[in-house]
Amino acid sequence: MRLSELKPGQEATVTKIENTTTARRRIMDMGLVKGSKVKVICRAPLGDPLEIEIRDYKLSLRKKDAQNILVTEAE
Amino acid sequence: MVPGARQHVGNWPGKTVEKKEGSFSHKGVPLKLVDLPGTYSLTAAAEDELVSRNFIIEEKPDLVVDVVDASNLERNLYLTMLLLELDTNVLLVLNMTDLAKEKGYKINIDNLSQKLGIPIIATVATKGKGIAELKDAILKAAQTRITKKNALNYDKQIESLIDYLVAILTKDKNLPAKYPLRWLAIKLLEKDEQALAVAKTSAVSRELLEVVA
Repeated sequence: MRLSELKPGQEATVTKIENTTTARRRIMDMGLVKGSKVKVICRAPLGDPLEIEIRDYKLSLRKKDAQNILVTEAE
Repeated sequence: MVPGARQHVGNWPGKTVEKKEGSFSHKGVPLKLVDLPGTYSLTAAAEDELVSRNFIIEEKPDLVVDVVDASNLERNLYLTMLLLELDTNVLLVLNMTDLAKEKGYKINIDNLSQKLGIPIIATVATKGKGIAELKDAILKAAQTRITKKNALNYDKQIESLIDYLVAILTKDKNLPAKYPLRWLAIKLLEKDEQALAVAKTSAVSRELLEVVA
């Protein structure tokens, strides 16, 4: 499933980043890489942007960027 | 970081993409400080990051003072690693150590310093804590250039590619004075825009692009 589909409070692990080169690099620079644990904190109306918690800090992502990040939901 | 300056902090396009300068002297030694755009990374794709990166590559400062929020080391040490990879002289400043303590973190500074191979100073800038030590450390570190081992070793396959690229890059007589070659090789493997542009105009462009393109 995609990071953009998670609901607030849900936790997941990143499995793949399908964004284009520049966005991908930017996302990885912020510590969001394959295997990273993420948790959705909240969503703005219409789901854009999306606030997630990663590596003990909060990161806001555009919906279009979050749509290209594949995750598996934590049990 | 500019002495005596009170500046607003913000992060939006147009904010502090220019450098600010200041100077002071410590123990009779005049020091010039240049405040670079604050970034989390040093890619060629972002203007602020490129300003910082190019300054370090072109001006070759005696010392880069890397001031990080100690309450989020996992994110912030990434930039430290990138600076070390740039083969620059780095002094790491763990700022906001009060906040880190509140969060329950215990940072073993001696161990971290040994692992990274660079000096580390803990500060709480808003309360002026550690500033005297920082000035001493800046003076000392700027005057001693330590030769470090590689900040980060990649796996065998990547390391052998880096070595191969460095061997090619060495043949271009203009490059070694301008760029740390290991850094340039790593950036080429990352397909960094600026590194690719350097490769294209290099005397060894054909050999490089055979590997990287």
